[in-house]
Amino acid sequence: MSKIKLQSSDGETFEVEIEIAKCSVTIKTMLEDLGMDEDEEEVVPLPNVNSAILRKVIQWATYHKDDPPPPEDDENKEKRTDDISSWDADFLKVDQGTLFELILAANYLDIKGLLDVTCKTVANMIKGKAPEEIRKTFNIKNDFTASEEEQVRKENEWCEEK
Amino acid sequence: MDVNPDIWGQLALEASQVYLTDGTAARSPFAGTTIEKLPDKVLLHVFSYLTHKEISRLARVCKRWRLVAYDTKLWKNVSLRPEISGLHVGSLESLLALISIRFGPSLRYIELPIELITHTVLHELANKCPNLTHMLLDFSTAMQLHDFSELQAFPTKLRYLCICLSEVIFMEGFMRKIYNFINGLEIIHLIGTYEKVEEEEEEIYEVINIHKLKSATPNLRVINLYGINFVDDSHIDAFSSNCIQLECLAVNYCSKVSGSTLKTLMQRSRRLKCLLMNGTNLQSEYFMQVEWEKSSLEEFDITATDLSTEALSDMLSRIPGLRFLSAGQLNGFNDQVLKAWMDSGNSRHLVALDLDSSDNLSEDAIYKFLCKHGHQLWGLGLSGMTHITDQLWQSVLPILTNARILVLGTQERLGVNILVDQLMDSIARNCSILERIELRWDPENLRFSDKSQKAIDTLRVKCLKLKCLSLSDGRYYEIVKANFERADRMTVVRTLTNCRVSNYYLLSNYKDLIFN
Repeated sequence: MSKIKLQSSDGETFEVEIEIAKCSVTIKTMLEDLGMDEDEEEVVPLPNVNSAILRKVIQWATYHKDDPPPPEDDENKEKRTDDISSWDADFLKVDQGTLFELILAANYLDIKGLLDVTCKTVANMIKGKAPEEIRKTFNIKNDFTASEEEQVRKENEWCEEK
Repeated sequence: MDVNPDIWGQLALEASQVYLTDGTAARSPFAGTTIEKLPDKVLLHVFSYLTHKEISRLARVCKRWRLVAYDTKLWKNVSLRPEISGLHVGSLESLLALISIRFGPSLRYIELPIELITHTVLHELANKCPNLTHMLLDFSTAMQLHDFSELQAFPTKLRYLCICLSEVIFMEGFMRKIYNFINGLEIIHLIGTYEKVEEEEEEIYEVINIHKLKSATPNLRVINLYGINFVDDSHIDAFSSNCIQLECLAVNYCSKVSGSTLKTLMQRSRRLKCLLMNGTNLQSEYFMQVEWEKSSLEEFDITATDLSTEALSDMLSRIPGLRFLSAGQLNGFNDQVLKAWMDSGNSRHLVALDLDSSDNLSEDAIYKFLCKHGHQLWGLGLSGMTHITDQLWQSVLPILTNARILVLGTQERLGVNILVDQLMDSIARNCSILERIELRWDPENLRFSDKSQKAIDTLRVKCLKLKCLSLSDGRYYEIVKANFERADRMTVVRTLTNCRVSNYYLLSNYKDLIFN
């Protein structure tokens, strides 16, 4: 099995099976565009991902390497968030900072499966909470003025319980 | 809504700074990475997993979330029928604001309840939502129709229109205004009030003029008239005279349909592939006049009709390319019919067969049929028969290697017990591409042992495509459900009260036929 080296933003290199690395569309395209020869000892720099996060991403990709490709987003996608596998749920039992770093990495590396499951996890953290609870959970500042707040409440009052 | 380019620039900057933030926080080196660091695109992805009601609440969190929550991409398919898990919009003003601010050009599909179907709403949809192609208008609870005399505009790009009819409200005042706008329709659903029908004879009103409707819609491919008490053969005739693209006609539960115009329908609609006539009043005499041998019909549902043995044998031995047959609850369907069909050679294209509650079919005849055709079947339903037990299934399962859908068992109590462990094991070993299965047997009739887990494990591991396993509520259901849930397949196991399995998933127009 041929391998390639990935280099994190803080200079650490990771040797990864090429097939596993290719679950990242970004890396896959890079390899194709650069026409990298698999024999060459080239290093793929990933300046947007640090070593701690890259290690986790590789761990995720290794576990999921035999998964069927995730379905394309179609119009009538089911809004399910209760279908996270227990391995993924355990894998994502991390602090918020790490979770968001993983999302940013999945987004940058274009790994749909990882992006989906991390975004679902965040959606689950949001579900059923009132705006104030959400602000508290994620440490978000309420930047509405009192009159704006009244305005936005009005814009959405139709959706409150009958 | 396009995001201001400045915001993107700022986000890119923020993103690039992510890794510069300090690592001083207690345990995590990434404590500085908050949800605010996620780009709008990703936040949108998170929001896309939430309901419209949740999304509307998120708008109140902060300015940026408000902007993302109002992104029209989140508002492509919108249901405004609260009884059917849609949003509840209290006033017309709110809806008008929503249409222009939130839906806009992204809106593809909308469901409107009677209160919200007014000429102003329809004007706004026509003006602001140029990509609206699918619409459902629910008049079923109407006591009175709004005044549409001022209706001047209507969405013009509709391909799919579903109208839920009321029993007593005449639609013509509305329909007359929209005929000019719906020429492009390819799929129409008219949903009657079948489920509300009571025993007492009430007066039947022809609340929609189908003869006028058909003139306005020459491009229909799929017509579904469901449970409408006034629909009869003349309406089928009307559609067939004008819709030359017709591929699929469904008149399930339209009890006035007798089949007197079937012959002309088949002559005119050469493209007709799918005909669904469950619960109609089909007459054998009309049925036998049809030139089945010339038809290109592939999918046929004649469940719960009164067709005679003679009419059934005659049709099956003449119709050349039948792939899908639903023929349950038919007293006339007996061994003779099955034999005539096999002898004619016309059963060779069959991929889906449903013979629910066919009490006049013997186990032996079914066995012989399946020995010959079992390998080609994608879907098989043999439910509702007390004489078809696990014994027959055990002997035919090794042939059913292509099965995607199976419906087994009866809810009637049996004198014998079903050895469900062995049955599950056999299903697992033979039907590896199974997607949906229903075991209808009463829980009291299911015999299982401490080896159950092993059989369920095998099924779970071998049938990886299994999406739905429907069982009668009871102890065995609990065991199977727990087994699948331990393996993180949360939604597969369901009870019969929530979920019925049918071969309809195999219809080529299945997606177009979904309504509600």
